[in-house]
Amino acid sequence: MHKVFMLLCCILTIGARAQYAGYTLMADSGPFKTQFATMAQKNTSLRCDFVQEKNLSVLSEKITSRGKFWFRRPDNVRMEYTQPFQYLMILANNHVFIRDGQKENSVSTKSSKLFAQINQLVVDCVRGTAVNNPDFSVRVFEGGQTWLVELTPVAKNLKDLFQTVTVLLEKKDFTPARIKMLEPSGDNTVITFSNKEQNVALPDNLFVLH
Amino acid sequence: MWRCLTTCLCCTRMALTVCTIAVSAGCSSAYRHLRPTGGDVTCVQQFKPRLGSALYKTEVDVVGKHLSGLLVLKLMPDSSTRVVFTSEMGLTFFDFEFARDGAFTVHRIIEQMDKKAVIKTLRKDFGLVLLEHTAGGRVLTDGVNRYYAFPQEKGTNYYITDSSCAHLIRVEKAGRKPVVIAQMLHYQEGVPDSVHIDHQLFHFTITLKKLEQ
Repeated sequence: MHKVFMLLCCILTIGARAQYAGYTLMADSGPFKTQFATMAQKNTSLRCDFVQEKNLSVLSEKITSRGKFWFRRPDNVRMEYTQPFQYLMILANNHVFIRDGQKENSVSTKSSKLFAQINQLVVDCVRGTAVNNPDFSVRVFEGGQTWLVELTPVAKNLKDLFQTVTVLLEKKDFTPARIKMLEPSGDNTVITFSNKEQNVALPDNLFVLH
Repeated sequence: MWRCLTTCLCCTRMALTVCTIAVSAGCSSAYRHLRPTGGDVTCVQQFKPRLGSALYKTEVDVVGKHLSGLLVLKLMPDSSTRVVFTSEMGLTFFDFEFARDGAFTVHRIIEQMDKKAVIKTLRKDFGLVLLEHTAGGRVLTDGVNRYYAFPQEKGTNYYITDSSCAHLIRVEKAGRKPVVIAQMLHYQEGVPDSVHIDHQLFHFTITLKKLEQ
């Protein structure tokens, strides 16, 4: 009886992990990956707004910040927080450039493995190669309007930071609608993208600190 | 960044040892001129941040390295205070709890910061501005300002006010000389608008600026 109960618990636990309301697990994610890669090739740039909500579970606190986001192939990202603080982060040429108030900082992603992995995650989520990132095991779920890509860290340093990262991709154009980073503590950060403009001309100086 | 802080803190311990030897050999205390005076030692409790919940933009500078993020200070229903530091992008660096009975708990800290010296320093720094361990003190004066002195496990925390205890001028954590100087400025509804913590033995500063959401 005890063994049966334990077995049921295991099945329910595995089932619970697999569940996302309104989404069905794709047994074969191959066709999705092919379509994703094809569409991502066509998306050369993206300009949009974002709202970020950091949920501190135990504290029942939510930190909301807003800003603008730019992406240009192959791997240039500019993320500019405008409310309630000013903070600029540019990912370009294997470097992370940060402007925080009057202070500027540059970190080579080659010298910081963790920065490189997080950098890669953000870029991969936008440009469509997240499903091929070896730092994560990937499952794909299909919903009505969106795909849900679940990324589970494989590397230990990433496991310490994230339990899972889920990315919602619009079915119509494969652009990201939402990224949710769930931490082992139960805290999570949700970034929601809006007012998206694809394939707009983005000048070089957007990806340089002046 | 955090490796740098750990190294600095180890060096600081060595410096403190050297200083202790020097002090035994004849250094005088920066507080020797203070004299006991009358007054209510509990008056400084008015400067203890009256938290519901407060969000601060936070900058940390350690010997040329710069780190920034968001700090949440929250009074919990059990009267403990939680101090949570996250990156702007949402990653939690640490989550500390200061319990009402003085107990301290690390609920979460990233591996890069999980060093005894780092935790101890941050605990003391935030304990200083949260007015932790402010029991059994005495009131001193330099003839102008009042020094509310609270003995700690090591050294003393001084909360320095004007003569009427209406304004908090600065806070000092000290042995014979100040080791940390903190300023808590522009209180609004019982919460300081900005906080600056400055270590005197090596370049390590924490600056908090309150954000309105």
